Amino acid sequence: MKKLTYRNKYKIVVVLLTVGLLLFMLFPFFVMLSTMFKSGVEVYKKPPYWIPKEFQFNNFIKVWTEYNLLGYFKNSIIIGLGTTFLNTIIIIPAAYSIARFRFKGRSVALYSLLAMQMFSPVIIIISLFKIFVKLHLLDSLFGLVLANTVITLSFTTWLMFGYFSSIPTEIEDAARIDGCNRMGTLIRIMIPIAAPGLVTAMIYTFIQAWNDFLFPLSFINAQDKMPLTLGIYQFVGRWSTQWEMLNVAAFLALIPVLILFFLIEKQLVSGLAGGAVKG
Amino acid sequence: MKLLSAKRQNGETAIAYALLAPAALFIAIFMIYPIIYVVMMSLYKTNKLGILQNFIWFDNFIRLMKEKAFWEVTARSLLWTVLGVTLKTVFGMIIALCLNIEFSGRKIARMLFIIPWASSVPISAMLWKWVFDHEFGLLNHTLKALSITQNPPVWLGTPIWSFVSCMWVDIWIGIPFMALVFLAGMQSVPKELYESAEVDGVNSLGKFLYITLPSIKQVIFIATLLSSLWTFNDFNTIYILTRGGPAGATDILITAIYKNGFEWLHFSDSAVMAVVTFLILMALSVVYARVYFRGGDDTL
Repeated sequence: MKKLTYRNKYKIVVVLLTVGLLLFMLFPFFVMLSTMFKSGVEVYKKPPYWIPKEFQFNNFIKVWTEYNLLGYFKNSIIIGLGTTFLNTIIIIPAAYSIARFRFKGRSVALYSLLAMQMFSPVIIIISLFKIFVKLHLLDSLFGLVLANTVITLSFTTWLMFGYFSSIPTEIEDAARIDGCNRMGTLIRIMIPIAAPGLVTAMIYTFIQAWNDFLFPLSFINAQDKMPLTLGIYQFVGRWSTQWEMLNVAAFLALIPVLILFFLIEKQLVSGLAGGAVKG
Repeated sequence: MKLLSAKRQNGETAIAYALLAPAALFIAIFMIYPIIYVVMMSLYKTNKLGILQNFIWFDNFIRLMKEKAFWEVTARSLLWTVLGVTLKTVFGMIIALCLNIEFSGRKIARMLFIIPWASSVPISAMLWKWVFDHEFGLLNHTLKALSITQNPPVWLGTPIWSFVSCMWVDIWIGIPFMALVFLAGMQSVPKELYESAEVDGVNSLGKFLYITLPSIKQVIFIATLLSSLWTFNDFNTIYILTRGGPAGATDILITAIYKNGFEWLHFSDSAVMAVVTFLILMALSVVYARVYFRGGDDTL
């Protein structure tokens, strides 16, 4: 057995502190894992308890069949993929333009891209509502795709701009000498090299659209057009809430975003904090 | 030859603008125009349908500035932001310091700490609403079971505890980002600095104060700046937990803009607050842009 040196004791304190902090930080998820296996009656038992008396695995079936989770899921996927698609085709040319051309207004464009990331959609929600009424985009998934793209556009353009700028111009020049035009170099050379960045931008966009709550809250009334966030919010009733169903639905809705988030977490942090954090 | 290159230059510029056009058009229609519209709305008298009636200069602003409620909401927004960012920084620093020490399972711990940031804010807020339930929630049950208190508060029931609860959930969401950025900063500090300090007999606190903190100064600055913008803008947490209640005790500017516009149909008030918020955000983002580019970036 190793002797407890000062260093080791120090380490034990740190490990204990870390475990304590983790228990503290993950508390609502422990509650979720406990609640989602309870029955509707058990949820409203006093005093509450952690381990369900009988694990209700059919909550996982009921939530799809009786609570229309499938419909919400489908809408969220459509909005997520739609936003990702629209956002991608807009940002690639824009980011390429700022990265490779020197034109009047370029630094204005750069500054505005950075500033727009700080923007809150709540500021323009009423104006957007009016525009959407005129364009018949209320209760429309396409409307949500447009609205979400407005929000994701700036950060993802910024991200792609960074990736495109880091590619040496010589590579592009060589291709152009070989007879490749601008479009050709963009598609055959720039995009493949910047692929990791593009994937990050696309995943980020999907996550944003998936998590959006404000736009559906403001623009969607029809039950069959609701995405997951708003759909699950409907579980919260005025008098009582089916908490076990809400927790099952939350669990299922969180899994895709958690997986996607872990794929891009490193790039996201360095993209946000800029030159201050590298590596 | 000169003419040719000038022509070529013009052609290139045209391509640049053409490539930028879809994004610019999109932003013009769905962002710039809406901003202009909100500014107009704040300068007009509006009816219950939100239709602009007549131009009244700054009367809406003056009227709102005379109301106590407006100043309360603004002050609460600032308190919300300052308190939130401070606590996020403190917690983030503690977690980063823990994770900066090598122990087995550190990678997993780091991953687990990210979860509150990685998960969807509206869904987290709904989970917390259940956690806070004063009768059936497991938080109060656990507080009693651990004999921390036998008389836990009605979290979302009283003005003060509602504010505390919302604040905590917002902090909880924001901690992981702080921790990650601080950790990344700490890991880029050269090890030699610590080694030589050890030779000189500097203790842990000294190393933190005289080596770690100064080395990650800029990281801390940019992270707190970003965090203050996010904290200031947090709509989902408050709206889902309390809707700004009870009796407006948890309303900040962002939720007040929404409620005035969408629920009470006070369009002028909503627009005025939106303009005020817009100006605050603009000021903060100018600072952010300056700091961001100061990091030795020569792209501008």
